Amino acid sequence: MSKSFPLHFQQHPGNPPQQPESQSGLVQDSKSGNKSILQALTSAALVLPGLLVSPAHAADASSGSINFQYSRYQEGKRDLYSVHSDLKPIMVDTLHGNGTFFLTDRMKFSFGYTQDTWSGATPISSVPLASTAGNIPFTRRLPTGEVVSGASPFVTGAVLLDRNLNPLRIDTAGNRQVDPRNVLVLSTASPETRTQGDFGLAYEWDDATLNLGGGLSRERDYESTYGNVSGRFDFNQKLTSLKWGAGYTSSRTSAVLDHDTLGYVTNLGYADRLKFRDNLIMLEGDRHDWTSNLGLTQILGKNTLVDFNFGYTRSSGFMENPYKGVTVIFVDPERIHPDPNVPIQGNLRTVLEQRPDLRNQFAFGGKLVQYISPVDAALHLGYKFSFDDWGIHSNTFEGDWVQPLSNGWTITPRIRYYSQSSANFFNPYIVSEQAFVKTVIGDDGEPQVITYDPNKLPKHISSDHRLAGYGALSGGVVVNKQFARGIELEAGFEYYTRASSLKLGGGGNSSFADFDYYVANAAVKIDMDAVRLNQSNLQHQHAHHDHHHGHQRHGGHHMPAGIMYGHMLDKAGDFMVGYRFMYARQSGKMLHGSQRASDLDIINLGCSDIKRCSYAPDYMDMRMHMLDIMYAPTSWLNLMLMPQFMDMKMGLRELDGRPPPAIGEHRHAGTPHTTGGVSDTILMSLIKLLDSPGHRLHMGLGLSAPTGRVGLKLRRTMRNEGGLVHFDMQLGSGTWDFLPNLTYSGDAGRWYWGTQLSGTVRMEGRNDSGYRLGDVLQATTWGGFHLTDWFSASVRGVYTNRGKIHGDFNAFNNRIGPMDYPANQGGQFWDAGFGISATVPEGRFAGNHFAFEWLQPLRDDFNGFQLKRKGALNATWSYHF
Amino acid sequence: MKKAGFLMLLLGVCIVAALSGCANVAPWERGTLAKPHMALDPSPLQTGTRMHNYGSREAGASTNSEGGGGGCGCY
Repeated sequence: MSKSFPLHFQQHPGNPPQQPESQSGLVQDSKSGNKSILQALTSAALVLPGLLVSPAHAADASSGSINFQYSRYQEGKRDLYSVHSDLKPIMVDTLHGNGTFFLTDRMKFSFGYTQDTWSGATPISSVPLASTAGNIPFTRRLPTGEVVSGASPFVTGAVLLDRNLNPLRIDTAGNRQVDPRNVLVLSTASPETRTQGDFGLAYEWDDATLNLGGGLSRERDYESTYGNVSGRFDFNQKLTSLKWGAGYTSSRTSAVLDHDTLGYVTNLGYADRLKFRDNLIMLEGDRHDWTSNLGLTQILGKNTLVDFNFGYTRSSGFMENPYKGVTVIFVDPERIHPDPNVPIQGNLRTVLEQRPDLRNQFAFGGKLVQYISPVDAALHLGYKFSFDDWGIHSNTFEGDWVQPLSNGWTITPRIRYYSQSSANFFNPYIVSEQAFVKTVIGDDGEPQVITYDPNKLPKHISSDHRLAGYGALSGGVVVNKQFARGIELEAGFEYYTRASSLKLGGGGNSSFADFDYYVANAAVKIDMDAVRLNQSNLQHQHAHHDHHHGHQRHGGHHMPAGIMYGHMLDKAGDFMVGYRFMYARQSGKMLHGSQRASDLDIINLGCSDIKRCSYAPDYMDMRMHMLDIMYAPTSWLNLMLMPQFMDMKMGLRELDGRPPPAIGEHRHAGTPHTTGGVSDTILMSLIKLLDSPGHRLHMGLGLSAPTGRVGLKLRRTMRNEGGLVHFDMQLGSGTWDFLPNLTYSGDAGRWYWGTQLSGTVRMEGRNDSGYRLGDVLQATTWGGFHLTDWFSASVRGVYTNRGKIHGDFNAFNNRIGPMDYPANQGGQFWDAGFGISATVPEGRFAGNHFAFEWLQPLRDDFNGFQLKRKGALNATWSYHF
Repeated sequence: MKKAGFLMLLLGVCIVAALSGCANVAPWERGTLAKPHMALDPSPLQTGTRMHNYGSREAGASTNSEGGGGGCGCY
């Protein structure tokens, strides 16, 4: 959520201040004479609404703006001592977009969308390094002949302990030595995607603001809904601002207990929290967070301001991480040998972590912002202290140096130090003095198996290293470049290192969990106010072009949303920024060619002679987000840059009559496969061939750069490889592709029409995973009618021919269904499109263009066996300036 | 809990008392304060990214916590 800050004196970057115009006149007055009159007039002016830059608007750089940001989080490898793990560290790709619009002078609406996809190795628990559990190396030959070596997680085992319950290691000479080292047990996860949408509504008075916000975050195993209200009061001639806020979040965990470790985690004590559904064991729980904060901002002088904040959060309910276990070493007191030189046998098991159901957190923060006059820089220094009733207290120190340079550049180096103490229920592992299981002779004289008493385990226990004591040092830099037309590019980088030894005052208890990460991000920020101002200046200067502009905005842009590269900017120097969203769904019947295929046909004919099919896709959803940046260096040439971000979800079903499962087969009940992240990046040039009244023709020559990954894998389950994910679920083509196209468009009166031929030609023989996608040819024709000056409707026909995949995966893939075979790809498709298109003609949002189109499949003629297409939605927004 | 609340109130009162004696900065003297890099948060996008990462890796509480969202961070 965007936050409202009380600094009401900020002018928007790149935006001429609203004040100076009135002030400059007054300054001239003052030159001519009476300073007291100047002061009186200025003071009077400042109390008039609208003359003063409004507080939230000024301080919030996202106001009246649209921002797109991509960010990559990459962790380094964990220290597993001498064990080589082939598991890739955690990586998260995040796409974020937000927009803020003023609905009236005093009311603004904001919205945001965030999507992140993560994958990689994550710790399940920690064990003594001297135990037989942990990360056990293995080497395995796959059916393809590949040899895979790695380490698989073992959360059960044995360990020897001395009389003080310290783990013992037996060295090569046979001597026993205490080995206090612990090690994380790493498991891996297939890619998972989270999406979050939020909105905010703010109203500003002269001396106060009120904000309402809310949102929803969804991922496969966690869903949260939240709402908040916040505000600000300015007083003391706006030298002082008081801020307040309150919020509520309701979250639900619904985790499928991992089949990787499920069989090995003992959940005897927590059975009441487990639910059974569709042969799955679920861990479910609700959580409620009430949050509040109070803050004060104060101007201390012409160059200095300070900000103080207090936050209180009360959380209740299920706060466990459902995928974290705790190692319990069971020691049977009856089996401890009387001779103290004989080591104790520990039986190492894992239980689910247990956290308290209530948490109260308090945080106090302060910030100083100081202008450094000689170099025109700003120094931001911050400190925060927090504590809670779990025993964690933290200290954070951070400093930023914001240094504007010439030509619109700004560079901001920053440094941060963080330290926290351990939660009072954190332990890398615990020892329980009871037998895990034992056999006793019952009253009836029969032997009985007795399991451990869960009530003898601590009520609260966690080995999640985030609750340990440690310190972290991070540093980074942000670089901004502002362009004249209200566009700003921003890039940020941060490196973060977590170390137990960095804990403030020493005493860190988790050096086995030390790690580092970096985050790199890039953003485009569009300041709509600056864009509009610039546009009105340009139109003023080039009044004779106005008709042309108007023509393009209301006519040329009206085109079905599904058409890419369909129009050109007419004037040298023009920019267009756009966003495109596409959603496509396949579900229902499996088809062979254009005929319905029976399960038996799929089993016998859909895979290969040596392996029959066991699964078929049940549904597949694909979503694509594309940023569309267009620039006209000359009137006949346009250049386009289009980064793409995709996410896919495929549900599978078991085919009726499938061959019996192999031992250790990767099963799919209830959990769809998901992937997501950066897709290929398109670079396109459009060349004008004809531009006469009513008729336009242009050609496009473009490239698709292989920035999307094609080596995405499903996770390993114990030692069974997940293998490469299905062809359709990889994020790009993996090859450099040539994208030629030719577009004709025309209009007469209220009618417009057009036709386009476009293609995709793969320029390489194979990608890094050993295959190349088929070439694509598409032909489309459309016609539309302007119902009003700003609103139109269109119909379209589309024919697409997509080739089969050439080559094949060069690494292991499970080959469980038709989607894993190159022959079951591509085909010929016929669609009808129904679209609407609108350009905001006047007012605050003038020039914004929106279009939607639904593509309804008319006929599928697939190569091989594929899942029926259900349709696709295209939605676009663009702004030309 | 009550102790913490009292401490907070005391701190707030002290801060307000201390600041009431601050120099008066006339509106036409606030040009420097109006510079974009003097904003309390000069780059909200960067702050959002960082807070999300810290929030999923650290257990310390935040002072700007009314927002919500951010997901489970169960990794």
